[in-house]
Amino acid sequence: MNGTAAAWDADRRRYDAIIVGAGWSGSLIAERLGAKGWQVLVLEAGNGGDETWEGHLDAVRTFHSAVAKVPNSPYRRNTAAPSPDVLDLAPVRDPEPGKPEFTANGYLVQQGALPYGTDYLRALGGTGMHWLGAVPRMHADDFGTDTDYGYGRDWPIGAEDLQRHYAEAERAMGVAGDADEQRKLGVVTDPDYVYPMHGIPQSHIDDYCQKRVGGHEIHDEVAGETYTINITGLPQARNSTPDPRYAGGAGYRPKGAVGLANYGERCVGNASCVPICPVQARSTPLRIQAGFSGSVTVATRSVVTRVLRGRGAYVRGVEYRTYGDPATPVSRSYTAEADVVVLAAHAIENARLLLFSELANGSDQVGRNLMDHPTMVAWGLTAEADGNIGPFRGPGHTSGWEEFRFGDARGTRAPFRIEIGNWGWGWANGAPMSNVATALGVGGDAAGEVRDKGIFGPELRRFLGSTIGRQLQLQCAVEQAADPENRVTIDPRKHRDAMGNPRPVIAYDLDEHTRKGVYAAYLVAGRIFAEMGAQNRTDFRPVGGLPPLGHFVYPTDDSVDGEVHLAYHGAGHGAGTHVMGADRSTSVVDSHQRTHDHPNLYAVGCGSMPSIGTSNPTVTMAALALRSAERIHQDLAELHGAVLPRPRTQKTEVPA
Amino acid sequence: MTGISEQEFVRTCVRLTGFTEYDLYGTGMAGLFLGTARDQVGEDRFAVFWAALKKALDDPQGLKTLTPTHLEAARALTYLWYTGAWPRLAPAAHAELRRQQANTEFMAAPAAYTEGLVWRTFHGHPAGAKAPGFGTWAAKPPDVPATGEAQEEQAEEPAGAYRVGMEEPVALDEVPHDLLPAFRASRDIAPSEVPTARAPEADGAAQQQKEVRA
Repeated sequence: MNGTAAAWDADRRRYDAIIVGAGWSGSLIAERLGAKGWQVLVLEAGNGGDETWEGHLDAVRTFHSAVAKVPNSPYRRNTAAPSPDVLDLAPVRDPEPGKPEFTANGYLVQQGALPYGTDYLRALGGTGMHWLGAVPRMHADDFGTDTDYGYGRDWPIGAEDLQRHYAEAERAMGVAGDADEQRKLGVVTDPDYVYPMHGIPQSHIDDYCQKRVGGHEIHDEVAGETYTINITGLPQARNSTPDPRYAGGAGYRPKGAVGLANYGERCVGNASCVPICPVQARSTPLRIQAGFSGSVTVATRSVVTRVLRGRGAYVRGVEYRTYGDPATPVSRSYTAEADVVVLAAHAIENARLLLFSELANGSDQVGRNLMDHPTMVAWGLTAEADGNIGPFRGPGHTSGWEEFRFGDARGTRAPFRIEIGNWGWGWANGAPMSNVATALGVGGDAAGEVRDKGIFGPELRRFLGSTIGRQLQLQCAVEQAADPENRVTIDPRKHRDAMGNPRPVIAYDLDEHTRKGVYAAYLVAGRIFAEMGAQNRTDFRPVGGLPPLGHFVYPTDDSVDGEVHLAYHGAGHGAGTHVMGADRSTSVVDSHQRTHDHPNLYAVGCGSMPSIGTSNPTVTMAALALRSAERIHQDLAELHGAVLPRPRTQKTEVPA
Repeated sequence: MTGISEQEFVRTCVRLTGFTEYDLYGTGMAGLFLGTARDQVGEDRFAVFWAALKKALDDPQGLKTLTPTHLEAARALTYLWYTGAWPRLAPAAHAELRRQQANTEFMAAPAAYTEGLVWRTFHGHPAGAKAPGFGTWAAKPPDVPATGEAQEEQAEEPAGAYRVGMEEPVALDEVPHDLLPAFRASRDIAPSEVPTARAPEADGAAQQQKEVRA
């Protein structure tokens, strides 16, 4: 990249394309269009800084000093361009029956029955700065769940249409994986394909699980089916060992760190992929930005407030505001014009912008069908005799059980993917720190008195070594189908942020099919623990009247109480607010992510996905972005007649 | 300074933490932790606590002899060594100490986090620092407990000196629920605010059945 530009440098200029948002989608499209020579302006609402090595190290230190090491913890709070944070949500003690069991005190206004527990990051690089780097492709069955299983929405395209773009995305992001395993799953169809890099080594925990229960039968009561489970490695956008067979023997050269010349490493096992990889082995969109051509201008601290209407159905550009100090959002307004406008600001932000601009909503679907992967996190202690299994080492998860993702059981309950967690009970319980607290007995009891039980010294050390060293966490990501009532709206008269932009108002719930999937996952996780001789410690019953966030009571037939306490976490997979479809009366964008209503307005990202299967959605989003980039290039070429711009060879510096 | 040398501080903390003098000095955090604890407890009250702690450690009954508030301070200090963070105290202890500070958990310093002892108890490393190298996570980790050196050094300690509220050593194959954390109800709940787990439902029922049979 050529450094970031100041907002006023872009004021009242005309570009070939304006891209709103510098995350994965925006960066990939900007890079492609820039390579073709088009003049591109990328407007990023949040701050930059992490593209420099000093900025990156500062973020690492901020992460180290955070008590709650949540996904947004390395990044400064920004009132001018606020981000939702998982810290914004709190459960309600002794909730009234039928009333929400949570409060939300952050950027998102939450009015649904259940909490939308997913965050994102408004900063240069977007949420791609704190993602895990899990990049499993979607399965062909995931694209037509309505036709095949009777739930959710179908895509206007299928997995076959995306194979080429998936491969491109995997090159651009730098993916390590085992293509044979993925072919066996049926998600990679090219018989000759290999990933750019060899798979990231599977953890000792994976190995332990496979030795204990590999090939065993696990019964899923809810689906009434029995599955033989075996672990499958996870493709990851993380530097590994390049595969010399890649691209027909051409090989692959991994990309190193951004902001420090000649520095780059394979994953060294920092075990903090979310939220930050200290050595930048985990890929971020900054890598893509580092390859921007001279015709791409990036302006940070430029908050797009609305898309401007042009002649007829066309849009002419955007209005945006810029600010100095993120803590005191005094802002000025600017405009920029372009032949094509691309919204790539996150599913919720795209919907917010479209709604406030009063555009693209002929179908009344803008903001609707908000999705996530509600994740049931189960925790257990492996057998004492088996000793230390080595938690809190390596990437967040390196293998999973994929068997529950596919097949006819989807008609009965939502499918789920079981991630075998490598980071102990961190997500569920706040381990290992909370283990120290509860073993010591610090913090007081429910009445606030000093606890009477606890251990110190050698006993404490031995106890923690044993009980942390045996922690196994299973993260079951459940597919959530599109539901028009799960939606983003705005209410500018009541809810605005500090800069005056409308805040997203969220209504969210889980439907019966999804809840059934959560329940099935809860039972399956329990059976897996039992099968491997581990103690299942999963328990979502309220403690001292305090329910866990995402808590709900699910009615059952066979239990003594006739009900079971369940809970889910947000996965950070916000999707489905401007879903694609062939029919303009029921969808917002077409299969190229172009809005049906405006020929030169695109809305890209997970918001376009009609269903999200059980795959972490980033790689599918990236594939869609690359597919759209081809289409946008074609649009621009047609618009400019036969005269195509020549790619610039010389980079021009933009004054920062 | 109120007369507690770093050396005296470390030697006493060896007994609280179960780690050796060498380990504690090696963190480079002794000075920071002494200062943090003194700031949090309050200069005068810390001196009183310190005298009580040393007396208790020399008593055959060990830490059981501490007042609840001093016990909580000893726990907080141990938590600081293990995690790098000063915890939220039991509100009763917070009140009795008449602390000026907000009763919330905070990290003493970025480096305090990376020097936390908890990671060493299971031969791990702090998440986000001291990375062990490519592929190391695939290797079988050393077994726990391998705390031989600490135990040998402290072999002369009376049995039970490090337990409060329990007579028998903790069974590691049947870990008591009230020494383990429950779920973290939301992400803004600091680790030291996570309550202990509830008694398992099934176990409770089994226990009742046993009693009925007996």
